[in-house]
Amino acid sequence: MTQIAGKLFTWLNARLPIVNTFERHLSKHPVPSKVNFWYLFGALASVVLIIQIVSGIWLIMPYSNTEEQAFSSVEYIMRDVDYGWVIRYIHTTGASLFFAVIYLHMFRGLLYGSYQKPKELVWVFGCTIYLAMMAEGFLGYVLPYGQMSYWGAQVIISLFGAIPYIGESLELWVRGDYYISGITISRFFALHVVALPLVLIALVFLHLVALHEVGAGNPEGVDIEAHLDDDGVPLDSVPFFPYKVLNALVGIGVFMTVFSVIMFFFPEGGGYFIEMANFQEANPLVTPEHIAPVWYYAPFYTMLRAVPDPLGGLIVMGSAVAIFFVVPWLDRSKVASIRYKGLYSKIALTMFGVSFITLGYLGTVGVTEIRKTMSVICTIIYFAYFLLMPIYTKYETTKVVPQRL
Amino acid sequence: MINKFFYKVLFFLLISFISNEVYSAEGGPCKDYGECDKFKYSLNDFESLQRGASAFINYCYGCHSLKYSRWGRVAKDLKIPEDIFFENLVFDKSIKAGDLMIGAMPSNSANWFGVMPPDLTLVSRYKGDDWIYSYLRAYYEDSSKQYGVNNLVYPGTAMPNVLMSLQGNQKLVCKNIPVKAENGGEKRDEYGITITNEKCGFLEVEQGTGTLTREEFDNLIYDITNFLVYVGEPSKATRERIGWYVVFYFLIFTAVSSLLYREYHKDYLKK
Ligand code: HEM
Repeated sequence: MTQIAGKLFTWLNARLPIVNTFERHLSKHPVPSKVNFWYLFGALASVVLIIQIVSGIWLIMPYSNTEEQAFSSVEYIMRDVDYGWVIRYIHTTGASLFFAVIYLHMFRGLLYGSYQKPKELVWVFGCTIYLAMMAEGFLGYVLPYGQMSYWGAQVIISLFGAIPYIGESLELWVRGDYYISGITISRFFALHVVALPLVLIALVFLHLVALHEVGAGNPEGVDIEAHLDDDGVPLDSVPFFPYKVLNALVGIGVFMTVFSVIMFFFPEGGGYFIEMANFQEANPLVTPEHIAPVWYYAPFYTMLRAVPDPLGGLIVMGSAVAIFFVVPWLDRSKVASIRYKGLYSKIALTMFGVSFITLGYLGTVGVTEIRKTMSVICTIIYFAYFLLMPIYTKYETTKVVPQRL
Repeated sequence: MINKFFYKVLFFLLISFISNEVYSAEGGPCKDYGECDKFKYSLNDFESLQRGASAFINYCYGCHSLKYSRWGRVAKDLKIPEDIFFENLVFDKSIKAGDLMIGAMPSNSANWFGVMPPDLTLVSRYKGDDWIYSYLRAYYEDSSKQYGVNNLVYPGTAMPNVLMSLQGNQKLVCKNIPVKAENGGEKRDEYGITITNEKCGFLEVEQGTGTLTREEFDNLIYDITNFLVYVGEPSKATRERIGWYVVFYFLIFTAVSSLLYREYHKDYLKK
């Protein structure tokens, strides 16, 4: 029996690079021996991506992408499909936690300079993933066709209309109709379940291939490639499998515990994960009292609202995302990690984090005069973090990075 | 050092936002009523759910549908034997267990109230249980309105007070309220008489106009609201029950994987 299995494996391995790939990317792939919890979020993001794809496939089966049935088919899933509610809550909880994990993953990048040479491309692929995720999340939110689906889509699609000259026809083209209708739902459905997931999977693949090519970083910003043993393996490294896999497993355990607490006990996340108004079917004649985006778009929504002119708002919001792409070339520091950067960088990153969270908060509440002023101030801090980066990273005194981890 | 400081700032901000949200004065969802009364559902109290279902079908279902919910499912979930359920609560004998509760209103005569009475399957999810519990108890006499009543929670509501015969005639009254002294007690004047201020807007039922006492009526509304929480999400009780097992499973998973990790960690530290 084992002999047959052995033979079969040899046969396969002669035709598929199984052992090679396993060694190259897992059992012999060296990763830094000392990293902290911030380095777990990449693995967690991969886990959520898989969760979203699998639960999504199951949701497609009973979901109906028509104007008449979209909303009721979701209730059908929640009530009549066996364990349909489990699948749906997995998907809604997964969506919010995906963004939570990605925000922490990106923040790790800023904290430890993970975008620095030679990991620029890893970062750029990451930013593209984030962009695709924003589109994916938006398209998905329209599908249950509740009040927030409808009015959120209304707000976002009309942004295209703010673009000069081509705006109006672009808006019509995206919507596929003069108002949001069944046509819009079914095209958003196609994009949400096929097009963007393919893009995301491809991008994540590239992200990881690029990372394995240049090697993962660490919180000290030490270049582990500088000290190799006789076999050319970095001294401060351990094989990815089993050490890092087991480490990630602990992280996954904690994460799944949090996941299930939310999913089984607070699936609406206090109205932040599933908004209350979205339990009402879309009604083009009744505008909800206040239209708030889901929490993960809130910071950008606030920036949009901070500018009185729609086109200006669109440009500010677009730049807020786009500016992430060029971070590797804005940072002029000799060191990567915040631990060795100077005081300016520390202040800048703190201010940035605080303003980002404040922007997020402001996006979920109604507008008042004070809040308007706050959103302008926070938007300015947000951009200042990036735009002043070439200056404060260059002219601050940094600490000396040790040779070894 | 700076890192610690950073985390502290973040934590502080988060806490202050959350509490700010609770106390923010954006004119709460219960409008003139002030804070909504808190409602705590109990989905394992089948008697309450059964009373709620029966009250709903008798007093509300004439106008409001529960169109995503099925008759047979309600009977089964609330542990009402199907024959008793169909005998006593389903008035249209052509209805079968798998049918949706699409309502008893002819759709063309829907304009009696100026608006079509909405479907209530999901009302507990988009309005919240606190809101429903407060709303149904906040009707008061107001002769300027079409049905002679208005509502503090939903001013100008198009729905009449269908439970008036049970509750009695509730009115808005004014009361003399003792003024609070600085030490927290009642403020008194120099003769030791409590100083009061007249305040209005209190709900009070006219004695003897309803068939239920205040407490009985509140209990009835509790049951109806509880039933609406159930209908809003029939799997909620199951969800909260099996959730514990899943969480427990992942805690064990975490424990085992961290033991395994430690074991392996030891052996590479040796090298
Ligand atoms: C679906 C989304 C994503 C997945 C599945 C993913 C996955 C991963 C994984 C598994 C790692 C290695 C483990 C780790 O360092 O945490 C990693 C590293 C990295 N990711 Fe992502 N990522 C995603 C999105 C992003 C985004 C949005 C960005 C930034 C905008 C980003 C930037 C980076 C960087 C710079 C590294 C290298 C860190 C280092 O080695 O120092 N990733 N990613």
